[in-house]
Amino acid sequence: MIELGIEEKTYTLNLGPQHPSTHGVLRVVLEMDGEYITKAEPVIGYGHRGHEHMAENRNYQQFLPNMGRVDYLHALAYNQGYCMAVEKLLGLTVPERGEFIRVILSELNRISSHLVWIGAYLLDLGAFTPILYAFDDRENLLDLLDRITGSRLTYCFYRFGGVPRDLDEEFITGTRAFIKRLRSRFRDYESLVTKNVIFINRTRGVGLITRDQAVRYGLTGPTLRGSGIAYDIRKSEPYSAYPAFDFQIPIGDKGDVFDRYLVRILEMEQSLRIIEQALNQLPNGPIMADKVPKRLKPAAGEVYQAVESARGEFGCYIVSQGDLKPYRIKLRVPSFGNLSILPEVAVDTLVADLVAILGSVDVVIPEIDR
Amino acid sequence: MLKDKLKTALASLNLAQVSDGDYAKTGYHLEVTAGPGQMPAVAQAMLDQGCFLESLTAVDLRESFTLVYHFASFDELCRTVVHASLTKEAKGAQAPTISQVYPGADWYEREVYDLFGIKFAGHPNLKRLLLPEDADFHPLLKDFGAEPGND
Repeated sequence: MIELGIEEKTYTLNLGPQHPSTHGVLRVVLEMDGEYITKAEPVIGYGHRGHEHMAENRNYQQFLPNMGRVDYLHALAYNQGYCMAVEKLLGLTVPERGEFIRVILSELNRISSHLVWIGAYLLDLGAFTPILYAFDDRENLLDLLDRITGSRLTYCFYRFGGVPRDLDEEFITGTRAFIKRLRSRFRDYESLVTKNVIFINRTRGVGLITRDQAVRYGLTGPTLRGSGIAYDIRKSEPYSAYPAFDFQIPIGDKGDVFDRYLVRILEMEQSLRIIEQALNQLPNGPIMADKVPKRLKPAAGEVYQAVESARGEFGCYIVSQGDLKPYRIKLRVPSFGNLSILPEVAVDTLVADLVAILGSVDVVIPEIDR
Repeated sequence: MLKDKLKTALASLNLAQVSDGDYAKTGYHLEVTAGPGQMPAVAQAMLDQGCFLESLTAVDLRESFTLVYHFASFDELCRTVVHASLTKEAKGAQAPTISQVYPGADWYEREVYDLFGIKFAGHPNLKRLLLPEDADFHPLLKDFGAEPGND
């Protein structure tokens, strides 16, 4: 018998709050047995700004800029979710052209979010070059969005009842050129990363998530679709102009880190298809609803509006008591549910794989902390 | 239809209200009112029908709290909202946890405890989530930060 005298001991390892792989200020307290994780506990809240409390202390319009600062990578989805919830409360209808412009901009923003993710994620895994390619493409996109919305990142563009500015010719030709450019770049991504044997060996079979787990933790977005569940709000609960477009929902089959990567890559192509169709079918007409009141005083009641952000379902729950200010706003953010599964997925994995798993969930910490 | 299945499943639980929602107006297909004590049974019924917990939050109505649970399904469009009214008591409001049914509720309940001070009986790890551990306030209570310039 050789195990005599060997005492089994675990030790605690602190990942974060400042760590490159956490993409924000997230701390994970790890209980380690050698290189293996026996327990992982995320500690969040370092970036808590109290958005929901702010909402109760200002009127509906004044809360709009906050929406660019919850999920800074896909801010336009948050703009859209909040605007749609308030429009539902007020009974406002957005003109068709307004909806098309929202879809085009939101999809461009989704692509820019995925590009950041791809660059940063591969950097986490030790591949330095892809981030240079991804940010090059993204820079193009940001110029396009900047042209219409006036900002590069924390967009505050949609208004209750539509959008304040129309698309111009330069934006449309620029977007068409970008679609062409990105499609040719997909081939580069595919040969550099998707078919890269080092990357495949690093990510296949790591961080498996089953359907049952997804239901119990309420996962959404690419993290969920990697596990083979085709749940996308744009299809499952169609909103805005999405029913007018032909697009697919890519899903994975194994539910590992690689599948979640692939889903995002394939999703970008679907977003390009949506943008292309929207540009081709762009209807004429007004971009703002008529007679939107300056003083917004919705009747008492509550609404829930869900939209698909780059990370999953963003739900905006508003309770109105017939006041100028909302009585309560709850922001249902996708990363919150997606990160809460980490303790279960991380157990019995190597600490190096934890970085691969954490990155594959694509968490945006300010969104979780709110 | 999932909505009919849910209605059948919830019928045996003796709830105060199970009725169709006005989807175009509120975004709900099914509106349910339950007592906080019935929530573990409601959650179990929702899980058995394959629904996931979309969100869990509370609203401070000054005299009482309302716990708000949203459920949805990956397979069929059917959003269910469950309202559970919770009285404010001197020793603090308390409701049973549903985290043994939905582990994802663990964080949501911690958040509600953190921001409203509502305790969840049977929760495995009920401590502050977003605010520092030593905070002595619950910021989403309506009497918090009521002075002008303090928001």
